[in-house]
Amino acid sequence: MRFQLAALSLRRHASRTLLAVLGVAVSAAMLLDMVMLATGMRQSFASLLGRNGFTIRVSPRGTLPFDTEATIAQAGDATAAIARISGVTAVAPVLGTTIHVLGARAPVTAFALGVDPAVQGDYQLLSGRDPAANELVASDALLRATGARVGDTLDVAVGFDPQLRTYTGRRRVAISGRARFTYLSADDRAAALQLATVQAMGGADRADRASLFMVRTAPNVDPEAARVAIERALPRVTALSTAGAVAEAERRLSYFRQLAFILGAVSLIVGFLLVTTIVTVSVNERIGEIAIMRAIGVSRIHVVQQIVIEGIGLSLTGAAAGLVLGVFTAQWLNSILRGFPGLPDAIDFFLFQPNSAFRALALLVASGVAAGIYPAWRAASLPISATLREEAVG
Amino acid sequence: MSGQPLLSVRDAHRDYPHSGEPVHAVRGVSLQVTEGEYVAIVGPSGCGKSTLLNLLGAIDRPTTGSVTIGGTAVSALPDKAATHFRLTNIGFVFQRFYLLPVLTAQENIELPMAEAKVALAERHERARELLGYVGLAARADHRPAELSGGEQQRVAIARALANRPIVLLADEPTGELDARTGGEVIALFDRLNREGMTIVVVTHDEKLAGAARRVIHMLDGRIVRDEPLLRRA
Amino acid sequence: MTAALTARVASAQRIDSIPPWKAEVRTIAVDERLAADAGLRVGDLVVLAAEPGNASGDTVRISAILQRRADPSEVARSEYRIRTHLGQLQELIGYGDRVDRYAIQTTGGVAADSALRRINALSFGFHAYPSREIAVETSKTFLVVSRFHRAIGMITIVASATFLLCIMLLKVDERRRDVAAMRLMGISRATVVRTVMLESSFVALLGSLFGVALGFAVSAFVNAHYQAVYRTPLRFAIITAGTVTYSVLLSLVLGIGAGALAARRLSRTPPLTLFGR
Repeated sequence: MRFQLAALSLRRHASRTLLAVLGVAVSAAMLLDMVMLATGMRQSFASLLGRNGFTIRVSPRGTLPFDTEATIAQAGDATAAIARISGVTAVAPVLGTTIHVLGARAPVTAFALGVDPAVQGDYQLLSGRDPAANELVASDALLRATGARVGDTLDVAVGFDPQLRTYTGRRRVAISGRARFTYLSADDRAAALQLATVQAMGGADRADRASLFMVRTAPNVDPEAARVAIERALPRVTALSTAGAVAEAERRLSYFRQLAFILGAVSLIVGFLLVTTIVTVSVNERIGEIAIMRAIGVSRIHVVQQIVIEGIGLSLTGAAAGLVLGVFTAQWLNSILRGFPGLPDAIDFFLFQPNSAFRALALLVASGVAAGIYPAWRAASLPISATLREEAVG
Repeated sequence: MSGQPLLSVRDAHRDYPHSGEPVHAVRGVSLQVTEGEYVAIVGPSGCGKSTLLNLLGAIDRPTTGSVTIGGTAVSALPDKAATHFRLTNIGFVFQRFYLLPVLTAQENIELPMAEAKVALAERHERARELLGYVGLAARADHRPAELSGGEQQRVAIARALANRPIVLLADEPTGELDARTGGEVIALFDRLNREGMTIVVVTHDEKLAGAARRVIHMLDGRIVRDEPLLRRA
Repeated sequence: MTAALTARVASAQRIDSIPPWKAEVRTIAVDERLAADAGLRVGDLVVLAAEPGNASGDTVRISAILQRRADPSEVARSEYRIRTHLGQLQELIGYGDRVDRYAIQTTGGVAADSALRRINALSFGFHAYPSREIAVETSKTFLVVSRFHRAIGMITIVASATFLLCIMLLKVDERRRDVAAMRLMGISRATVVRTVMLESSFVALLGSLFGVALGFAVSAFVNAHYQAVYRTPLRFAIITAGTVTYSVLLSLVLGIGAGALAARRLSRTPPLTLFGR
């Protein structure tokens, strides 16, 4: 009967209840979105970095991967040195450079990666095959920009000499496949060639150099131990574990996390205040009814329970509506933030994780329960006779 | 009327703090009501009759003195036990009916039974029986707003009887009713008392007081006269 | 015309004296963040090296400490910045006679456009862009952030509007007995509605003024916090006259709207029903 009474009490002021549910739903949606924002980036970035089992990135000392144009010398020796470290199962050297695809029209500039196709983790083939010497796999954006297709041959250069007015490192390269580049945006014009091809095209500046090594470790090995061992073996590099990279990314994007925390807290407070206000007003209106229930023998705890059930009803309905609303608004907000230039396709700012989402909504419902307890207990504890006398006068 | 006292008040005082000064609502009242009695408490407004009724019903506690109902010293009961005692032993009827507006007439009657954990089927049956008793069988599914004042008060009386109380306490039960509907309530009380229900009413209504078998007059928190009336045919 | 070259200098280590083989050293400027963290002052001698531990670094004297610009694109990057002479950096990193970019000053307007056309017609292997195009390109990130803030703002407005509407309806509903008494006294329905609306707009106005004050306090806190976190003079939260007007007007419209809605409903309910009789 307590449930029935609570439901009927909420229905008694339908417009008020509807507005309260709407308010809680918007708060819940906002809370959910902020939880998704706070955890989404981290999870999404960690999952991106963890693809293909690469747990460590090695870049020139003091730099982050591809943060500068600095390169690591004697890449061959470095690859071998890293491979010798206990627990390391694979080393993928990568050399980044800018290439110019020359043709009848204006040259098309693209980002090129020199990789070892056997162990690379930078692209997934969509069609065709991995590049052999003097071959490349291209992103769809590059194919669109050049109007080329798999099987065509491109005239490619890596630099130019303004004095001689000639392109340098020029050679003809066949397109062996189409690929999606893991760490790049779908709009980026990108290509991957064999590491040796890129090194050779770069001339003396790029000979036996790499921008980055991606290192895969055995599942039972602590990547942190391998990271330390790499830095010890190669003093001129910085080795960064996935956890370290995630921490660095989090530090750079801490604004979003803090924004998420603040707005999430505000949403929770708004939801709490809304339920408190509704329940308090509703209780104040029914002081006489509550006194009479107490007078006819309804226990204090049952009165409190009935009122708290109303609070739970408001919060639960609001949270359920907020879940749907939150998922939709998160998609909308995510599509806005996905507009960041150069953002890898795999990165999402808002990531729905059932556990976090339900924990957040449970927190909101718990705050709804807490919101109902005080006014309910206060009303149920009023002296019955005095309340009835005042109600009779009022 | 003879027999063991069902209600017993001994030298009860009830003081309320008011603006720092105590207000003596009940001053040294002693009273006994035996089973099957029909008592009316009368007196001017503010004489303490409603306060006395609240003491009799374990809604309020005396500042000093004691109240015993059916052998239980209710004035010494903690809140939880007093609440349960009211639920199972006392029926209350109030001037302003105080039915829950969201519940139907039948559901209002079932409320105290639900609290007393009476089985659902039994609740329905007894509620319908009580509605029939107060002449409102056809109004079972109506909400209070759809009932007249007299009908609401009869539902309130049925609710008071739901858990088969040992005493029915009523505070100005005809106070909000016109003469005709007030008469219906008086007739109902009379019938209940004839069937053995102990009733104590607080009233300004001379007709209601006249229907009682015993009238207690109060003034300034004290009983000034306690007179048995002749039973009418 | 200025030429710029950007490179990572791996270390800048303070030393106590000029190496004996150097008659005079060149000067550099460091930013205040580096100066604060490394305890550097104007006049200090430091060794710059392109790679850590490189013994053949260049000893230079700090001649200036620069204040960082309030540049949002640099906010999240906790890098240190130094300024050297162009030739000095080219020499230090072995970059030869090369630069990253040139910044070209023109007399403006048509001159900039014609200069751009001529440079692009003559040049080989590089491209000239108008500054506004660069600005659009570099501000893309902030356009996204700004769009994101607007979206969050919209959600916040919906949430606060619902909250406000709810509170105002409750507030007016609380006056049901007063409204009943007024109607019983013979006060007209229109007067009752006006009175309740006046009261709700007063509450909305007071609430929004309090909200504005709270907004100023919160923005001061946000600015102080993020300026300290990111060590930048950048202002993160700015309350403009437009923001204040918008929020006050919105709360007034919602307050008056909710008041009118509830007052109309109350005034049409029979007074005795409002009294609960």
